[in-house]
Amino acid sequence: MSKIISKSFLLLLFAVVICCVIFPLVLLVVGQVFFPFQANGSIVNGPDGKPVGSLLISQPFTKDEYFQPRPSAAGFNGTASSSSALAASNYALRNRVASTLGPIVRYADGAKAGQLVAHDIESWFHQDIFQGAGHIVSQWAGNHPSLAQAWVSTDSLHTAYVADWAKVHADLVAKFVKDNPNTPQPAPTDLATTFFQSFSNGNPGKFLSVMTDTGANHKTVLVIKPVNTGSDIQSIFFDMWRQDHPNVNLQDIPGDLVTTSASGLDPHITMQNANYQLDRVSSKWAADLKRSPVEVRNEVEDILEKNSFAPLAGLAGEKMVNVLQVNLDLRNHFGKPQ
Amino acid sequence: MTFQIWFLPVLLLASATLLAFPLSRYMARIMNGEYKPLKIFAWFENRLDSGQQNWKQYVGSLLIFNIALFIFGFIVLALQEWMPLNPLHRPMIAPSAIFNSVISFMTNTNLQHYSGDQHFSNFSQIFFDISNMFMSAAIGLCALTAIIRALRSDSHLGNFFLDMWRVLIYMFIPVAFVVSVIFITQGSPMTLESVYQVTGLESNQQSIITGPVAAVESIKMLGTNGGGFFGMNSAHPYENPTALSNYFNTLSMMLFPFALVLMFGRMLKKMRHAYVIFSVMIFLMAGTYVWSIVFDTYSPNPAFTSNSIARTYDVQSASSPDGKRLVTLPAVAGLPVDQHLGNLEGKEMRFGTSAGATYAATTVDVTCGAVNAEHDSLNPLAALSPMVGMWLNCVFGGKGVGMINMLLYIIIGIFIAGMMVGRTPEYLGKKIGAKEVKLAVIALLIHPLMILLPTGIFAATDWGMKAVSNPGPHGLSQMFYQFSSASANNGSAFDGLGVTYGAYNNPNPAPEAAAWDIATGIVMLISRFLPIIAPVAMAAFLGRKKTSPYSLGTLRTDTTTFAFLLLGTILIVGALLFLPIAVLGPLAEHLGPIPFGG
Repeated sequence: MSKIISKSFLLLLFAVVICCVIFPLVLLVVGQVFFPFQANGSIVNGPDGKPVGSLLISQPFTKDEYFQPRPSAAGFNGTASSSSALAASNYALRNRVASTLGPIVRYADGAKAGQLVAHDIESWFHQDIFQGAGHIVSQWAGNHPSLAQAWVSTDSLHTAYVADWAKVHADLVAKFVKDNPNTPQPAPTDLATTFFQSFSNGNPGKFLSVMTDTGANHKTVLVIKPVNTGSDIQSIFFDMWRQDHPNVNLQDIPGDLVTTSASGLDPHITMQNANYQLDRVSSKWAADLKRSPVEVRNEVEDILEKNSFAPLAGLAGEKMVNVLQVNLDLRNHFGKPQ
Repeated sequence: MTFQIWFLPVLLLASATLLAFPLSRYMARIMNGEYKPLKIFAWFENRLDSGQQNWKQYVGSLLIFNIALFIFGFIVLALQEWMPLNPLHRPMIAPSAIFNSVISFMTNTNLQHYSGDQHFSNFSQIFFDISNMFMSAAIGLCALTAIIRALRSDSHLGNFFLDMWRVLIYMFIPVAFVVSVIFITQGSPMTLESVYQVTGLESNQQSIITGPVAAVESIKMLGTNGGGFFGMNSAHPYENPTALSNYFNTLSMMLFPFALVLMFGRMLKKMRHAYVIFSVMIFLMAGTYVWSIVFDTYSPNPAFTSNSIARTYDVQSASSPDGKRLVTLPAVAGLPVDQHLGNLEGKEMRFGTSAGATYAATTVDVTCGAVNAEHDSLNPLAALSPMVGMWLNCVFGGKGVGMINMLLYIIIGIFIAGMMVGRTPEYLGKKIGAKEVKLAVIALLIHPLMILLPTGIFAATDWGMKAVSNPGPHGLSQMFYQFSSASANNGSAFDGLGVTYGAYNNPNPAPEAAAWDIATGIVMLISRFLPIIAPVAMAAFLGRKKTSPYSLGTLRTDTTTFAFLLLGTILIVGALLFLPIAVLGPLAEHLGPIPFGG
């Protein structure tokens, strides 16, 4: 018995020294000496010679001059990789994708072929009728209470607005408490559905958005106001608009443009996605540089083509590009975006 | 497109099979002691060799060594705050999470109730992850070796400590070194730094966690461990930078499990029997590949597709006055998303079209548990493929343990067949008696028991209901996936489940994390060691019996007939146990309304 114990610890000692000291140290030397770029995280330098990112780790791009990466469930946080972990049956997944689609989807055919749907969503929203019944916002909050609650809790301004509303509408709060005896002191989030139903009755065809306003002493402040246009309406209510218009043909958006990756740091987009963004990117550069759109477009296409590759030389998948590499090339080729 | 989808899985199966032949010959030679060690290695071997052991001494050594490993792992994690290589000052993780992680890594499960990139220092990654990954894998392989020696009626089962040394030094270290270097060339970092600070093209700051990733990555895959350096495991671009690294990543986890089956045949000198087992396994594996590819790569994510016809069902309902209720699933208009590449939610682009589905099936078949896609976001039916892999737990399986499970199915299959034709069942010329069958059944039944029982308890209480992140049947799937993964010693997960406590002083941990830590910890322990101890005992009892001469009445174990018998036993015994839960989870999700509720 004591022999077995002593041999166990001896084996542990030998194994730890070999596996945890010698093995990594040898690899460290091999990596740092022979493959320093890869072993140090594939960090590339920007035009000013300072590290601008890792070719393997996605970073956010918002300017129209740059190609945009896939959406990230990790918020592009290189210290906390994360997937959305949303199941197909979870409405949150469909809602997230629909919200991305609303402002960018275009008609595929008919008189409006190629035009954005966004404007029609707003005018449909203004009519305030969904599936033959009135009050779109009220129906939205009733059908998707979790989304209504998320709206209330996602922004402190939203929460404060609902809290203020609750103070004024003591009767509705009292009714809520009567219907839900388990929540005698409802927080603003609990009241989300009640709030939106009341709001919808008072403001048909309107939703709430955060706007900038000039305050009394000429300072810019953020306030919440009822609105009947804007990207919030286009995003949030696109799915309901779609249910009212199921047979309208819309242009398909590349799948990887609206889905999040497993790591949240996927550095690539498909060539299909890049081509989808090509118009926006090249026309913005052309406007910035006041050059011929066709010429600029050709140059951007060349940069894409130069950077394109496919998994296992095309045997295992379709063409794609590295977003940071392409944007870095754009930056080096065209200069600083305005 | 069709070619691009099927090229990778076919290439993987073919290359792993081809490599299994030379590797198994080498492994059999090492484990039979037919080699001459270098002088320096001989010195170590002499220090470790405590002499020939019988099965009780062998199993005793195995268990005591595991206790030593447990103590070591616990100390490393508990002292993380004060250890070197911790410039980010990572504190200790919650004690329940340490308990869980230490068991998890020691049992080759590598279920992670923490995120490597958020909670571990590089010291912990090296001294906890790497040490456990090498050793837990070696332990499984040694257990199989002991069983083989018992089955061929060796007078002794060899020496556990010497066997461990042989596996570590002559098998794992050299192969891991080669694979690590491949990963480095592809872009896996190999540094002792902890974080890179960069300023992006749009002047946004980004911190990127780094470390000795390549050193962890190779043995993580080769040892079918699966515990990632980063939270998102092999989906993280530093762990798996390219399509080529993904190929080697997947191949690495298949390498030893494939070779072990042939090693079994070589050491017993029953190659034809091994080929039969190998064929059954590869058939099942190909089945899980095809299933997940068809339902995930060829099928779009149903969250975005249209469902043009409203359906109405009469549902029995106790709360309705007439005992019935009409449930209407409304028609749903599709969203304009191009899904010709299949379900892309939770997939990485660089690996290739079918790489996520292929990996999901592989990682459960070989009991690895690494993931390169988010299993929670697989299409409902596709998620059945990893679940079935864990439930059967004998399709190649992890280091040795899969082959051991297969052995149990063989014994049960032979026993059933023997009963049907009215002959005394025999395996390798040894009569299978009541004692052996009892041991086999105990070892087999532990698995469903350890999955279904705790799932039932958790589904009925806040422990489960407050942890799930997806509504409806998928929430149930999340719970039993976690316990399946723990019991199969797999380690993959539906990541939405709230099981991460984080640092011990985390003000906002997942509410039920501690319950999950403890429950899955216990499940992993039981499901690891009972199915090792019982089969070793069974093999020892079998080996002691006289070999009866081969006769016309003997059920041959090296024929196609036997392959079908084995396949039938696995599917009927293994799969039927889990059919009800499969119906309540993924099948219900697939057939039910999508989206499900609010």
